[in-house]
Amino acid sequence: MKRVFAITLGILTAIGGFVDIGDLVANAVTGARFGMRLAWVVVVGVIGICVYAEMCGRVAAVSGRPVFDLVRERLGPRIGLTNLIGSYLATLFTLSAEIGGVAIAVELATSVHYLLWVPIAAFVVWVVIWRVKFEMMERIFGLAGLSLVVFVVALIQLAPPWGQLAGQAVTPVVPAGEDWATYGFFAVALFAAALTPYEVFFFSSGGVEERWTRKDLVVSRLNVFIGFPLGGLLSLGVMGTAATLFLPLGVRVESLDQVALPVAVALGKLGLAVVILGFFAATFGAALETGLSAGYTIAQYFGWQWGKLVRPREAARFHTVVLVSILIGVAMLLTTTDPIMITEYSLVFSAVALPLTYLPILIVANDRDYLGDQVNSRTANALGVTYLVIILVVAVAAVPLMIISGMGG
Amino acid sequence: MKIPDPLRVDFHLLDRQVVDPDGYLIGKVDDVEVSVGEDGVPVVTAIHIGQHALGNRIGGVIGRWLAATARRLHETGDPRPLRVPFELVHKVDSAVVLSVRHELMDPSALEIWLRDNVIGRIPGARDAG
Repeated sequence: MKRVFAITLGILTAIGGFVDIGDLVANAVTGARFGMRLAWVVVVGVIGICVYAEMCGRVAAVSGRPVFDLVRERLGPRIGLTNLIGSYLATLFTLSAEIGGVAIAVELATSVHYLLWVPIAAFVVWVVIWRVKFEMMERIFGLAGLSLVVFVVALIQLAPPWGQLAGQAVTPVVPAGEDWATYGFFAVALFAAALTPYEVFFFSSGGVEERWTRKDLVVSRLNVFIGFPLGGLLSLGVMGTAATLFLPLGVRVESLDQVALPVAVALGKLGLAVVILGFFAATFGAALETGLSAGYTIAQYFGWQWGKLVRPREAARFHTVVLVSILIGVAMLLTTTDPIMITEYSLVFSAVALPLTYLPILIVANDRDYLGDQVNSRTANALGVTYLVIILVVAVAAVPLMIISGMGG
Repeated sequence: MKIPDPLRVDFHLLDRQVVDPDGYLIGKVDDVEVSVGEDGVPVVTAIHIGQHALGNRIGGVIGRWLAATARRLHETGDPRPLRVPFELVHKVDSAVVLSVRHELMDPSALEIWLRDNVIGRIPGARDAG
């Protein structure tokens, strides 16, 4: 019974922890502009994160080595360093965007301008990373993030023309009035939102910190294969509500309060309160994950002591990187750059940086020296290689599409 | 000692994580010292850990910068990477496991400086998370 409870808790945490500012923004923006015509990208992205995270979980459990440790070992110090710079920047942009998201969520609740909340939000994020135990941190924000289920409830309450939404979802073509570059740009953004590098850095480093062994493989797989798809369903809920409310009116989503608006329309004040809690939990949880991931990438590349299980003074370099990254994230927001804009840049960066972190894991997942009998099965390799191709195409296309479409215009 | 035979320096050693018997993360194998024995067979005599060694391997502007910061931080005036004789390597698998505890080795200068001047000064730095 206790085991069932632990597994359920893990899955619920994975669902609630799946959605972050990138998913909220990308799904709402595309829902408002394209209806459900890009919903297929979310499905492709969620299967991708499942394939990738399952491999990382297995590598972490059997060999005890987290992602960035292997990145340098397999790619060598030079390409590893290029990769480190790309991945760190992507994580840093995401961290900044998440802190901005926390501040905007508090602004929605208090009507005090978000820029005033940015330093406070960042300080609280840092204190939680500094003081709160890993498991507790993951659980609280994961479970609170589940309140984003309110998007699915709101969608049902809005009584959308289901047939029309389904029709859009199965005919993924560029609608009239939009060009293919914009369509492609948002496809890249949605894919990157579902398959963000930091999620995998965090997942595999967390596995190493919690000292996963072969026995934990089942739990890790359940978390991935049930938790992530259900998390993806929340993303589709966000897209669906935006498609129902904004698309017919031709309204574009340009801020986080617009993302919440369909819920307020459908469920009133109570719904709005729940959605603000959900925004807060999702962005705060992701701020913790990205803050730690910034430290993980650099510490694991150089082989430094890292993690939350040791006393901070024994991992001084790691904690310094986390602290400095949060400060840079705050500085980026205080230039008054729009957090939505930072989010969109973070998604493009993530898409570009992904292949070089994905490839070493795919290679190591086939290495018997590391994994013994737990190497990739034929199915895992077929999927793994298919996604390597997809990830490469997305990475190559990301920047040209961003330029041609002018960030989606 | 459990060491793969044949031992491939580039594949089994370079850039692998070095840990002590308790799993404490000491650093990466940033460089390897090889000498040629009397029978003409090269043997690995030591592994080097530290940004100086890494910087020299990377080369170029970034490599030089990495090595220079590592030298600058050294307080003892003896700017060399940590040298671990290969006899102290207990096992080479997904990590290079040493047979001695990390307290017996020179700690990284950067770690010490940040511990004494930044992280160690923040309340709660002695509590595990």
